[in-house]
Amino acid sequence: MIHVRDLHLSIGDRPLLKGIDLQVERGSVWGIIGPPGGGKSLLVKTLCGLFTPDRGSIRIDGVEVCGLDEPALVPIRRKIGMLFQNNALFDFMKVWENVAFPLARLKPDLDEAALRERALMRLREVGLAGSEDKWPSELSGGMKKRVGIARATMTESPLVIYDEPTAGLDPVTTSKIYDLLEKIRQSTGATVLAISSDIQGLSTFVKNMMLVHDGQILFKGPLPALQECEDPLVHQFIRGLSEGPL
Amino acid sequence: MTRLANLLASIGAFVLGYVQASITLISIAGRSFRGIFHFRGRAKGEVLNQMYQMGNRSLVFVTVTLGALGMVLVFQVCLQINKVTGDQSQVGPEFIKGMIHAFVPILTAMMLATRIGAGIAAEIGSMVVTEQVDALRMTGVDPIDYLIVPRLIASTVMTLALGLFAMVVVILAGAFMAHTSFGVNYNVFFIFDKVLPGDMIIGVSKLIAHGAAIPIVAGYCGLTATGGSQGVGTATTRAVINASLSVIILDFIISAIGLATVQKVG
Amino acid sequence: MIGNLLARIGGAFLALAHEVGGVVHLLFKVLIALVPPRFDRDELWRNMYKMGVRSVPIIILTAFFTGGIMVIQSSVFVKKFGATSLVGWGAGYAVFREVGPILLGLMFSGRVGSNNTAELGTMVITEQIDGLRALAIDPVNYLIVPRVLAMIVMLFLLTILGDIVAIVGAALFGQLLADVSFAAFWTSFSQNLHIVDLTHGLVKAAVFGFIVSLTSCWFGISVRGGAVGVGRAVNNSVVAAALGIVLSDYIITYTLS
Ligand SMILES: Nc1ncnc2c1ncn2[C@@H]1O[C@H](COP(=O)(O)OP(=O)(O)O)[C@@H](O)[C@H]1O
Ligand SMILES: [Mg+2]
Repeated sequence: MIHVRDLHLSIGDRPLLKGIDLQVERGSVWGIIGPPGGGKSLLVKTLCGLFTPDRGSIRIDGVEVCGLDEPALVPIRRKIGMLFQNNALFDFMKVWENVAFPLARLKPDLDEAALRERALMRLREVGLAGSEDKWPSELSGGMKKRVGIARATMTESPLVIYDEPTAGLDPVTTSKIYDLLEKIRQSTGATVLAISSDIQGLSTFVKNMMLVHDGQILFKGPLPALQECEDPLVHQFIRGLSEGPL
Repeated sequence: MTRLANLLASIGAFVLGYVQASITLISIAGRSFRGIFHFRGRAKGEVLNQMYQMGNRSLVFVTVTLGALGMVLVFQVCLQINKVTGDQSQVGPEFIKGMIHAFVPILTAMMLATRIGAGIAAEIGSMVVTEQVDALRMTGVDPIDYLIVPRLIASTVMTLALGLFAMVVVILAGAFMAHTSFGVNYNVFFIFDKVLPGDMIIGVSKLIAHGAAIPIVAGYCGLTATGGSQGVGTATTRAVINASLSVIILDFIISAIGLATVQKVG
Repeated sequence: MIGNLLARIGGAFLALAHEVGGVVHLLFKVLIALVPPRFDRDELWRNMYKMGVRSVPIIILTAFFTGGIMVIQSSVFVKKFGATSLVGWGAGYAVFREVGPILLGLMFSGRVGSNNTAELGTMVITEQIDGLRALAIDPVNYLIVPRVLAMIVMLFLLTILGDIVAIVGAALFGQLLADVSFAAFWTSFSQNLHIVDLTHGLVKAAVFGFIVSLTSCWFGISVRGGAVGVGRAVNNSVVAAALGIVLSDYIITYTLS
């Protein structure tokens, strides 16, 4: 589904991604972990063409992403649902309009009643029945995440990216969110990338892990192999030790 | 020696930064104007909404500021004429003419650059730093078509409307001031035959140009906002100053063209 | 409908009264801190340098083109009477007394005032002001008073610079666009203008600096509501400063004449 080769990205004169190589098979579920500021969000945004890399190649379903202009990126982005780190809910739209927006863009001939109907269905699935006519600013942190998740999965796109779906949430809400992500994944069969700094919670949901630090992937592979990884930084990070290279 | 090299390097970087910014600005302007032509039904409501907000927020502001400025300007003119000739019969006609082709367009636009420009930059800038613009792009929306074009249309129309309204306000306020402080009769003041079509053309073209420049410059500042909460403040600041500056420069250019063409005297 | 409108007008007046009250309250605190002078000298120099240097390019550009615009307007006016000898006087009179101080004041508010609001506002939402209080440092003496003084002095000096640049611009564009020779421009300028025309404008500049400083500080330190609040405060602060500049311009013109 995703093939990344030797990806480099710098902003200004700061190199931020330094040679990323990655293969994600269709239907697989990946967790992305790593210290803050390591480039996790930047990596997934670059995959969607939101940043232009200096060099390297990104292919999604065999289509080269790098070098495309905005209109040419549209068909690729339609295959991706994204939950942004800070939810990025449109604050000038009500909750249901936020959720319905990607669908309205994908199918312009759906009328408002149909869109609202579909949005309400999705909101019920994420446990937000009754909040459809609120504004995003009236919601709690956990509710905003749920709206973001509902919006990201609205078009049932074959690839879904969740950037920190549980950051800043309490443990109970966190495990409910992971249950929700798993339920959605089973019903759509989508390929999933999920960024988190909470390794335990993430491990209940994903089958593969990669660890991103300082613009590089230090580990990638199946979940059990993560524990055996020799790299001192990976070793320190997954065990939460205070001694080590970090 | 190294000092000189450092200085040259920083000047070079400054110029390069400006050139790059100008290229981005021009490309945004081009795409916005192109956007006007394939503008579709959905966003009509958004244009009306923006027009309502701009008008609603600026009407009192423009009335108060331009009204006060009208009185001040008439006051200064009368003061000077009293010293030179004492013939107050020319005050009204010349004042009205000058207001229409010169003072009202630039002063109204300066006020709106503050009011509308800051608003646009704060709005779009906070959408950028909260990743709402990225979320729009993910669903295939062009931020320029979606965010800037409606504001461009709304601001052009509203700046023209508010400018024409301000002309009325300024002339009334000026007449009132001339009458109360210098005893100029209203029927001597309200003489419009000095206002030639050329003056009207210049005044209206300035208002249209300023009205278009403000949202493009402010939108550019908003779209290029970076960083968190500070980014929005910086974008707003840059918008006010850059929009005001572009108003002054455009005003100068149109004045010069006007002088060479429609205002050419014998 | 009518009730709604009345409620909105009432609400607007209450909000306005709140802001005006806040500015006046701040004004008193600043005055108290000034006699005897209790403020941070280093902070004063730092702000003067920062605000002054940062504004020079924008003031020069603004003044240069303003001079050009004014020479064009006055040549439209006097050419009809064949009196090109009045162009220098017309442009100089308008620049010194009104257009110079107002446009430069607005630009200063956009450049320095809005920056100041954003800076103070960010300090509020990141709790730095509370941090100062916890160290028993009075934020008014330490942050506000130096900024107020710096802005008054800097706008005054920048207006002198701007007046000079504007006259140079006017003479230049008069020659290029309106066929007014430098000599004719200079004669008309120096013979008809008086020092009061200049000081009239400079008094305004000092008052405008005072207004920009008070409004920008007040809107900065009264920021609420995070990042969005800072953007809103900057917006409100420049609008309030523009209103203050225009209204005080009216009062000064009236009282000085
Ligand atoms: N739009 C941007 N402009 C400049 N620098 C950025 C931008 N986005 C992220 N960065 C920088 O890139 C690095 C990686 O950021 P990010 O991908 O957000 O990290 P994380 O792994 O915590 O998600 C950080 O140092 C950040 O400062
Ligand atoms: Mg991140």
